[in-house]
Amino acid sequence: MDNASFIIQQLINAIFLGSIYSLIALGYTMVYGIIELINFAHGELFTAGAFIGIIVLAALQNMGFVETHFVLTLILVFGMAMAYVAVLGVAIEHVAYKPLRKASRLAAILSALGMSIFLSNGMMLSQGVSDRAYPAIFGLKGFSILDARIAYGQIFIIILSLVLMVALNMFVNWTKLGKAMRATAQNQTMARMLGIDIDRTIRVTFMIGPALGAAAGVMVGMYYGSVRFDMGFIYMIKAFAAAILGGIGSIPGAVLGGIIIGGVEVLWSAFLPSEWKDVTTFVVLILVLYLRPSGILGEHVSESRV
Amino acid sequence: MKKVGILMLCLMMVMGFHGTVLAKTLKIGTLSPLTGPYAQDGTDILQGAKTAVAVFEKAGGVPGYDKIEVIPGDSACDGGKATMAANKLINSGVSGVVGAYCSSATIPASVPLNQANIIQITPASTHTDVTARGFKQIFRMPPRDDVQAWSTVKFLEDGLKIKTLALIDDRQTYTVGLTENITKFAKENNKIKIVALEHITPADKDFTAVLTKLKKLNPDVIYMGVYQPEGSLMVRQAKALGIKAKMLSEDAVFHPKFIEVGGKAAEGTFLTFAKAPDTPERKDFEKTYMEMWKVETVGSYGYYAYDAAMILLEAIKKAGTTDTDKVVDVLRGTAWNGVTGEIKFDEKGDRKLAHIIWIVKDGKFVPYWDPLTEKYF
Repeated sequence: MDNASFIIQQLINAIFLGSIYSLIALGYTMVYGIIELINFAHGELFTAGAFIGIIVLAALQNMGFVETHFVLTLILVFGMAMAYVAVLGVAIEHVAYKPLRKASRLAAILSALGMSIFLSNGMMLSQGVSDRAYPAIFGLKGFSILDARIAYGQIFIIILSLVLMVALNMFVNWTKLGKAMRATAQNQTMARMLGIDIDRTIRVTFMIGPALGAAAGVMVGMYYGSVRFDMGFIYMIKAFAAAILGGIGSIPGAVLGGIIIGGVEVLWSAFLPSEWKDVTTFVVLILVLYLRPSGILGEHVSESRV
Repeated sequence: MKKVGILMLCLMMVMGFHGTVLAKTLKIGTLSPLTGPYAQDGTDILQGAKTAVAVFEKAGGVPGYDKIEVIPGDSACDGGKATMAANKLINSGVSGVVGAYCSSATIPASVPLNQANIIQITPASTHTDVTARGFKQIFRMPPRDDVQAWSTVKFLEDGLKIKTLALIDDRQTYTVGLTENITKFAKENNKIKIVALEHITPADKDFTAVLTKLKKLNPDVIYMGVYQPEGSLMVRQAKALGIKAKMLSEDAVFHPKFIEVGGKAAEGTFLTFAKAPDTPERKDFEKTYMEMWKVETVGSYGYYAYDAAMILLEAIKKAGTTDTDKVVDVLRGTAWNGVTGEIKFDEKGDRKLAHIIWIVKDGKFVPYWDPLTEKYF
């Protein structure tokens, strides 16, 4: 393997990992932007999405549906996982966060942590403690650029993440509901005075964020080939770091943060001693926060929200 | 009314006391990761021990006891949690403990067990230090790390006859022990060049950065010093990256799940694991286990845990007491016959058990090469 192929391969690895982190980070950043809550249960929603995906995919495979309707299969798997987790997200908001909206922020964070533990253990009991193998639908096939390999599954995942990110950005910036979300994020009291249904806006946020997490869960399961009840934890840490790095509350910031975290992780391991990978990732986070406390693309926090 | 209440209380106290006198229970504990990434192996260990108790009770149990109870402890592959679980088992009055799984949990947990003088038989931990600290009441079922590393290097030098080797570990006590010993033996013999030693983080899913690095170095063999979940992911990613090097791994990856998740990418992977004796006892055990737990395969550590619990109970029965020193003498002085072969402990509490090399072929683990005889199966 020559140097050029090596660098291309490591860049592919970095972009792939980064786009998954970005997609998960979006869920954190959206929820934080609206109600200033770190939704610790987001990692579990991501895992739940992966499990729904495996269940739907296994069912379709048993029916012999995958071979005949490949595209429809993908739409069904992603659609059902995202829809289910969207409903789950709204339900969590209703039972765990809504009653605490006026309570101290600490109470809401504890509630989120509790929800995370509850969901994780619930999945352990219902789905078992061991790895579940994901039905291989992409296989490991791909093509080469010089000596660098890229799998078809990876291309599909990178494109789908891009589509979802662009769609989210369009939704937030160009639709009425998106406008309501931005208004709620800026100033809840003022938005309410102007006739925006705050409850509805928050509900929509808790549908979209978890649905994106679910899509990332299905992607991870499909590409890496296995799902386990606790796999959300490590992704939660990395995506959370990505969201903060990019500026929590900022949608382009989450995407940028995800790419940076994925990039640092991969490129550090590529050229320097791999045991320092995680240390470096978080040193980068600390450095950025030291220089720009609100993150790379984070906005200055207005008086009313402090 | 108050008097009646007090009377009831007295009655309950007496009856409760009465009950314990009548039903004498022998308690044995297990320590294994029931939560976290290694919960599959941990569950196998608990189920193996429970199977042994069920079989043993059916065959008559221990004279003087009506019931044998298994008290599970969750060691979570974590030193602190394992020590806590060990203390809990001590307080509940167990006569012996089967566990733990990760060496990094077994070693800390063995300290309170040693102080309380309670027998501990690990069905999985292979780090040399487990039995090297002069504890009299600790025993080990699988072969030691240095034995495993020796078999590995022997296979690479005389079986595969390779020139270059790259090592990966996940920086845990067990895996670091292996890569250190392999490096040591390889340097002594000076036949193989170690071109890289890379580290990954347990529970990560993406190892492409490290694997790409190794692809560039192009070693003949990549050694995966990891546990099964990471092992499955690693062989898949190596295949996707087009890595041609042969993959070699160890007993923590030797689990049916490795093949299930790894799929086609697992084919051709070499693994070191103890030889599986082809005896009717082993087949009977497999049948009982699969019926009891409604599973299609027996996890690798289920066998060791079954043997560990079985010889513990047999030794208590033979000694006629739960007195630790006497049971230890029986355990050490007897040659047992288990589903993992003959069990005869040496001074340290280790068995004379060697590894063989296995290969994944057509979705199954198949014996491949024997380092002692240097012959193919």
